[in-house]
Amino acid sequence: MTDRSDTPGLTRREFLRLAGGVVVLFSIGAPEAGASAAASLSEPNAWLAIGEDGNATVFAPTVEVGQGLRISLAQMAAEELSLSPDMVQVILGDTDRGPSEVNLATGALSTIGASVRRAAADARELLAHIAADRWAVERAQVEVRDGRVMLAAAPERSFSLGELAKGQRLVRRSQQPAPLKPSAACEVIGRSLPRSDGRSHVTGGARFVADIRLPNMVYARVLRPPCLDASLVRFDTRAAAVQPGVIAVVEEGDFIAVVAAEPERAERALRSIQATWEEGEHAPMSALYQTLRSTAKLEERVAASGDVEAALAAARHGFSASYRTAFVAHAPLETHGAVAALEGDRVVVYASTQRPFAHRRAVAEALDMKPERVRVIATAAGGAFGGKDAADVSVAAARLARVVGRPVMVVQTREEELAWNDFRPAALVDVRCGAAADGRLLAWDCDIFNCGPRGSALLYDTSNLRIRSYRCASPLPQGPWRGNGGQANSFAREVHLDHIAGELGEDPVAYRLRHLAQDDSMARVVRAAAQRYGWQDRVAPTGLGVGFACASDGGSIVAEIAEVEVERTSGAVRVRRVIAAYEGGLVVNPDGLRNQIEGAIVMGLGPTLREAVRCEQGRILTRSFASYPIPTFLDTPALDVTILPNPDLPPQAGGNAALCAIAPAVANAVFDATGTRFRELPLGRVRAG
Amino acid sequence: MASGEKITIRVNGAEYRLEVERSRSLLSVLRLELGLTGTKYGCGSGECGACTVLVDGQAVRSCVTPISRVEGRPVLTIEGLARGGELHPVQEAFLQAEAFQCGYCTPGMVMGAVALLRANPSPTELEIKQAMAGHLCRCGVYPRVVKAIHLAADKLRE
Repeated sequence: MTDRSDTPGLTRREFLRLAGGVVVLFSIGAPEAGASAAASLSEPNAWLAIGEDGNATVFAPTVEVGQGLRISLAQMAAEELSLSPDMVQVILGDTDRGPSEVNLATGALSTIGASVRRAAADARELLAHIAADRWAVERAQVEVRDGRVMLAAAPERSFSLGELAKGQRLVRRSQQPAPLKPSAACEVIGRSLPRSDGRSHVTGGARFVADIRLPNMVYARVLRPPCLDASLVRFDTRAAAVQPGVIAVVEEGDFIAVVAAEPERAERALRSIQATWEEGEHAPMSALYQTLRSTAKLEERVAASGDVEAALAAARHGFSASYRTAFVAHAPLETHGAVAALEGDRVVVYASTQRPFAHRRAVAEALDMKPERVRVIATAAGGAFGGKDAADVSVAAARLARVVGRPVMVVQTREEELAWNDFRPAALVDVRCGAAADGRLLAWDCDIFNCGPRGSALLYDTSNLRIRSYRCASPLPQGPWRGNGGQANSFAREVHLDHIAGELGEDPVAYRLRHLAQDDSMARVVRAAAQRYGWQDRVAPTGLGVGFACASDGGSIVAEIAEVEVERTSGAVRVRRVIAAYEGGLVVNPDGLRNQIEGAIVMGLGPTLREAVRCEQGRILTRSFASYPIPTFLDTPALDVTILPNPDLPPQAGGNAALCAIAPAVANAVFDATGTRFRELPLGRVRAG
Repeated sequence: MASGEKITIRVNGAEYRLEVERSRSLLSVLRLELGLTGTKYGCGSGECGACTVLVDGQAVRSCVTPISRVEGRPVLTIEGLARGGELHPVQEAFLQAEAFQCGYCTPGMVMGAVALLRANPSPTELEIKQAMAGHLCRCGVYPRVVKAIHLAADKLRE
C-alpha cells in the first residue's frame, strides 16, 4: 500500500474511515460562528474520496432540506471526474463524517458547489498523475474520459479510476486549483437529472425524524409557558406522574417534560400539570414600528457615496416614504423534531435540522459532554427555510434520553411550531430620494430597521447613496428566514422606485432600464421579463393591475411581473400570473433550479398577501394554519419562469431572489389596479382611497 | 386510562386486530401501531392534508379520524398504492413532474390526487386547485402538483 499524506492528523480521524483510495480534503466557506479555533478557515471541513471500487464519495458539512442539493453536488463532482452521477455518493448532515460545518443560511450550492467541483478536479488530476507515472509519461499525454484515465496516443491503454485508486492510501489537501472543464465541454452539469430521493418521497418511504423507530423508544412532550417572557414559579406534577403510560416526569429548573409510552399519553399527562408562571413585561405589539424606531442603534453603514444630503437638498423632486413588513413564521409542514439515544458513552441525536454541528455543540453543552461524544445526524427535513437552526428540541430529547435511559422522541405540535420558534424580523424601511428635473435619480437615502441589510443594494445608478442598517429591540424572538431582510428591502426599494416613476410620468420598466446603464446583467433580466410579457410603455396606474419589480440575493438576480385582480367589494387581492426572468450563474440542474424559483414565488406570496404573526400580551395568537394562512393551491398564479444562462459564473443562490421580488411586484400591480399605494406587508385586503 | 377494546381494521389489504382506545386517531395507529410512517403529521387538526389516506376510496384526514370510525372499512395508505413494486400512475406523474421539494406533504398530496381522479377523471385546472386546496405545501410546489395531476389523468384514461 502506498501511504502518503500531508495531513497525518486528519487521516486518523474517524470520519474518513479510509479503507483505501484517494481522498482530497478541502474547506468550504467560513467556519460557523463559535466553532473551535482549530476549525479555522484553512482547516478542511469537507472531503471527496475515490474508492477502490471507482465510486466517488463527497462529504459536505451541510444538509438537504429539499433544495435538491444532493443531486447538484453529485453532478458537479461527476462532471470533473468524468463519472456517471450515480457513481457519486453525497453524504450530508452527519457530524461523525466531517470535522465542522460552515455557516450556510442559504446559497448552499453557490458556496459548496464550486468547492466540491474544484476538489473533484483535484482528485482527477491526482489520478491522472498516478496514471502518467505508471506509463512514465507527462500528465499532458493522459486524458480522463468516461470514468477512465487513458493514454492520449493509445486510448486502448487505460485504467478505471478504481484501478488507479486501488492500493493507495493517499490523503491530500486541496491546494493548487486544478483546471475546471470548460462549460462547453460539460456533459453532466446543465442536465435536469431527477433527484435520487424522488421515489422515496412518492412512496412514503422517505425517513423524516418522526419516522425513526428505535427499540424501546418513548415519546416526550415539553411543558410550555403561557406566553413569552415567563418564568416558572411553582408547579405540581403529581397528577401527571401517576397517569397510565407515563414513564417519567422530568423536572430540571424551568424545563419540565413528560415521557410516556405513546405521544398521546405524554400529551394528556402534560395537560394535568399545574404550573404557575410569572409573566414579565410584554412589549405592546400595537406600537411595534414606533418601538423599532425608538430603540434603533446604528449597526452597519451598508453603502455610502457622494453627498446625499446636499443632493437631496438640490434635487428638483423629492420622494420620501416608509415601508413596513410584519413578523412572519417559517411554518414548515414538518414540525421540529429529534430522537436521542444513548450508545455506550455517546449520545446520538437524529434531528430535523439545518445545522447538525451547531446542534451537536448545543447538546454537548447542555449535557456537559465533549462534542466528540455527541453525534448528530440530520434526517430528511420537511422544510426548514432558516427555521431549523435552533437546537432546543435536540437538547430536550438528549436530556430526556439521559434521564430515562431509553431513546426519546420529541416532535413539536403544530401549535408549538408556530408559537415557539423565532420569526422573520418585522421591518421598517425609510427611503428618501431625490430626482433631477429630467427624472434622473440623484440621491438615495435608506434606513433599514430591524431586518438587516440583505437585499438592500440599490441596483440602480445614482451618484449619491447612503444605506444604513439599524439593530432594534424586537418584541418577538427573531432569526434567519429565507432571504432574511431581502423581501422587506426589495419591497421598499422597488415600490419606491415604482412610485417615483409614476410621479414623474415615466414607464416603470423604462425608468429602471435608464438607471441600469452600469449593470448589464440586471438590464438583460429586466428586458427578458418585459419581452416575455409583451410589456408596452405605460404610466401607472393603468387599471390593468400589472406590476414590475427586481431583486437580487446571493448573486442571483430576477425581474418579475405580476398580474393581479383586486376584488372591488372585499378588497381581496388575487395574483393571476407571474412572469419571472432569472439569472444565477451556471445552471447545474435546470429543472431543479426552476422548481426552486417557482416555489420561492409561491412561498413569497404568503408574507405579501396575508401572513403576519399576531401577538397579544406575549401570547402568539397565530398557532394554526387557520390563523396563520400560508399560500394554498387557490393562491397559486400561472407561472412563467425564464432562466438566463450565465455559465461564466459559478452557480449562485437558489430561489430567494424570486421570493424577494414577488412582494413589490404584487404591490406595484395593486397600485396599477387601484391607484392607491400600499406600503405595508402583508397587503391583506386592500381599500382603494 | 382504560385500555381499549379489540378493534379490527383493514389497511392496504391486510387485516389487523388491535387493542387501542377507540378515540385514538387513525394517523397515530397507522404510524405507531402499524409502522406505516408514510402518512405524515402536519397539524393535527385536519388543516394541512399531510395525513391524507383513503377510506372506502375517499380522501380522509387521518389525524382527526378516530380509529373507531374506520372499523371494518378498507383503508389505503401511501404504502399500499404501488402494486408489486410498480408505482401508481399518480406516483409516476409526481416523479415525472418532480412535484416535490422537501417531500413532506407529498404522500398526502398523492393520496388526495388519487381520490380526486377517482371522482373526476378529467379535472380542469380550477377543479384540481379546488379539490386539492386543503393540501398545504410550504415549499410551494403547487404548480407542479397541478401538472402531475394532469399527467396522471392522461395516463389513467389511456
